[in-house]
Amino acid sequence: MKYKYEFDQLIIELYGDVDEHYVKKIRDDIDFLISRQGISSVVFDFKNVSFVDSTGLGLIFGRYKKLLARKVELLLRNVPSHVDRVFRTSGVYSVCPKI
Amino acid sequence: MDNYFKMQIPAKSENEAFARNTLAAFVLPLSPTVEELNDLKTAVSEAVTNCVVHAYDGDGSVAIVAEIHDNMLFVTISDNGKGIEDVDKAREPMYTSGGDERSGMGFTIMETFMDSVEITSSLGQGTSVTMTKSFGVC
Repeated sequence: MKYKYEFDQLIIELYGDVDEHYVKKIRDDIDFLISRQGISSVVFDFKNVSFVDSTGLGLIFGRYKKLLARKVELLLRNVPSHVDRVFRTSGVYSVCPKI
Repeated sequence: MDNYFKMQIPAKSENEAFARNTLAAFVLPLSPTVEELNDLKTAVSEAVTNCVVHAYDGDGSVAIVAEIHDNMLFVTISDNGKGIEDVDKAREPMYTSGGDERSGMGFTIMETFMDSVEITSSLGQGTSVTMTKSFGVC
């Protein structure tokens, strides 16, 4: 996982297979990053993601709920087609738009 | 050619990739499309993740039995864990017993990405998920 702040936007790049094994290693780090004050949106970038299952969806929904309370938007970027299929099945785009 | 394999692995998250990639390799002789392979890997990952996350409080194992007949894959993923109290409820989209960090989409994804999904479970005995998928049929 890599991250950068661009003005008031936090961009988090995920890598490899986003499954239970990966998510449990990065969840706390992501929560620390998004807890920073002054950010207006968070972007998850999937450019380098080879696989996502419902644990990855859980990561998104969980962060969405935390950010919603602070009125911070969560956006999904560079979603590959195999990941897009999982996201479309789950309806995640209705709360976290694809950009 | 008809074929089968059986394997048993510890119910640990590091084995999820091994399990889904093994199934993907197993069906390669059926000339799956990239999309079919991704669907299979995702569905297998969901079933194995359920065993890893929900089945046991401590250590446990996951058994995977897969068979190919003609162009059809049959795969059964089972555990000897605590079982599911209400299978119909567990199958509902967005239902989860796992709290805020779980999407509740595991069975929905299995049902969407495979041709059929059958779940048998009994409390204290374990859960078994059998899925089928045919390849090369458009």
